Amino acid sequence: MAMLSFEKKYRVRGGTLLGGDLFDFWFGPFYVGFFGVTTVFFTALGTLLILYGAATGPTWNIWQINIAPPDLKYGLGFAPLAEGGLWQLITMCAVGAFVSWALRQAEISRKLGMGMHIPWAYGVAVLAYVTLVVIRPLLLGAWGHGFPYGIFSHLDWVSNVGYQYLHFHYNPAHMIAITFFFTTALALAMHGSLILSVTNPKKGEPVKTSEHENVFFRDFLGYSIGAIGIHRLGLFLALSAAFWSAVCIVISGPFWTKGWPEWWGWWLNLPIWR
Amino acid sequence: MRSARLTALAVLSLLATGCQFFGSKDRVVVQKGQRGTAMEINYVAAAQQAGLEDMARKLPAILPPAPEMPPGPSPYQNLQVLNDVSVAEFNRTMTSMATWVAGGAGNCAYCHNIANFAADTYPDGKEIYTKAVARRMIAMTRKINSEWTEHIGNTGVTCYTCHMGKPLPSGLWFYTDENQILRHYLDGAGARVTTRQIAPSNANRTSVKQTEWTYALMISQSNSLGVNCTFCHNSRQFASWEQAPPQRVTAFAGIQMLRDINTNYLAPLASVYHPSRLGPKGDAPKAQCLTCHNGVYKPLYGFQMAKHYPALWGGRTDWSSPLPPAYTTPVAVVAPESSAAPAVAAPVVPGPGGR
Repeated sequence: MAMLSFEKKYRVRGGTLLGGDLFDFWFGPFYVGFFGVTTVFFTALGTLLILYGAATGPTWNIWQINIAPPDLKYGLGFAPLAEGGLWQLITMCAVGAFVSWALRQAEISRKLGMGMHIPWAYGVAVLAYVTLVVIRPLLLGAWGHGFPYGIFSHLDWVSNVGYQYLHFHYNPAHMIAITFFFTTALALAMHGSLILSVTNPKKGEPVKTSEHENVFFRDFLGYSIGAIGIHRLGLFLALSAAFWSAVCIVISGPFWTKGWPEWWGWWLNLPIWR
Repeated sequence: MRSARLTALAVLSLLATGCQFFGSKDRVVVQKGQRGTAMEINYVAAAQQAGLEDMARKLPAILPPAPEMPPGPSPYQNLQVLNDVSVAEFNRTMTSMATWVAGGAGNCAYCHNIANFAADTYPDGKEIYTKAVARRMIAMTRKINSEWTEHIGNTGVTCYTCHMGKPLPSGLWFYTDENQILRHYLDGAGARVTTRQIAPSNANRTSVKQTEWTYALMISQSNSLGVNCTFCHNSRQFASWEQAPPQRVTAFAGIQMLRDINTNYLAPLASVYHPSRLGPKGDAPKAQCLTCHNGVYKPLYGFQMAKHYPALWGGRTDWSSPLPPAYTTPVAVVAPESSAAPAVAAPVVPGPGGR
């Protein structure tokens, strides 16, 4: 695979976290590294296990393929392969692959002398997944509390978990998470449209600069957060969205067993109007 | 300094999560559906245990069974109900009722003219409305125990199920206006708001407000039984009976039962009650799920009180016989930690037979 002329100078040795020089090479455009190997291993094994699960299941309909976690009766132990054990293995593969991927990002960042923002950012998404299938099941005492691997089945799981707490929109952490998701979309839309607008001026006019960007938002909102600022804000908003999503599910069950609307009793009971 | 503070924070959060981790033994999750469907009920074992103990502590003693008595003419006059049981059983039931409803075994005067127990009026000639109401309540209890087995199963009801030692049971409701969601327990108006076709059409004219009424009605049932939505519904398709747990059938029978007792027993008493007992629109107090369930899935945590009081059985002849297994429940699977406290899990876990 062809390499761009400047790319070579960034292909530097070292910076590995594990494996030393052993996997410190490139495969085509891809950096391999120890964690690249483990990523491929876990991804391949996990995918094959999913295919095996689909093959032993009742359908090849892509929407309906379902690999369900064990019954609650197995607790935190291993379940037979056909009764949720497969889900446990696939979960291990998924966690292995996701964590490997984050560590590979960290190695590449070290090679390039960059900050660790990318692995941390990706790590928050991994944290949300791990919260769902590892942390919350641990806290509740059974792997059966993880969500099933299937397109429709995981949506059904989400629905039923929500209705276990009567009305999940009353979950305060869910409220915060949703607000962050929407704000992320708003911020990205404002930023993206701003950049496209300054880089696509009227025919014959030069591309505008950050002065124009700042002036637009100062005129519009009285404040411009600036070129770096918008990226810091964007990262904060997006990570907060994923983080509070993890919070909203981990508190449902381990920390609150009743309906979420009932949680708001403290608000109704405030002494100023009770 | 900063890193020391961070370390302290990390240790603190670890401790907090650690405590929670061990505290999670307190959570009882009952699996009600196929694995991975999240059809589950959540309880806190300690709260459940405390409720059960509170119920057991307050529960009046079951009086010793009445001795066998030869059939013969009753010595009592003006018997309009309970006239088909022995004198011993009659007295036993009357004494119990005073405890269950009127706050004490000796409180016969709550319903009777002490000077003349057979009279329907006080010595001053005024009607004893509590006696008239009690007669209907006995008839109602008998009807529930004998004809609504689809709902009450082998648990059954006595006066105490609802009254719990007080003259007025919990959850009594009156008409207020057309927003009174509990009217579904009287006038038989359907609560269904979902469209049953796949494609959208104008056939369903249900408003958002009506949808909120149905949601509020459902939440009142949920609160009354201390269960969540997945106790009776698979939320992937609320309307589907095929995907619903069998408890939905029991609940449906319960709604029918409420309509029966509200329409035929409770509402018609409006002309009998003292005016202070009536609602703002002059209607009689009516029942809802909470009235019997008092926050638990099976009233009195499934304690079979009615079994001990044959005078309240109505047409039912034998309490120990299994009911026709019309709707069987799959055996509930309980999370392993709950097995440590079977006394708690047992009454709330739907076992074989389902009710």
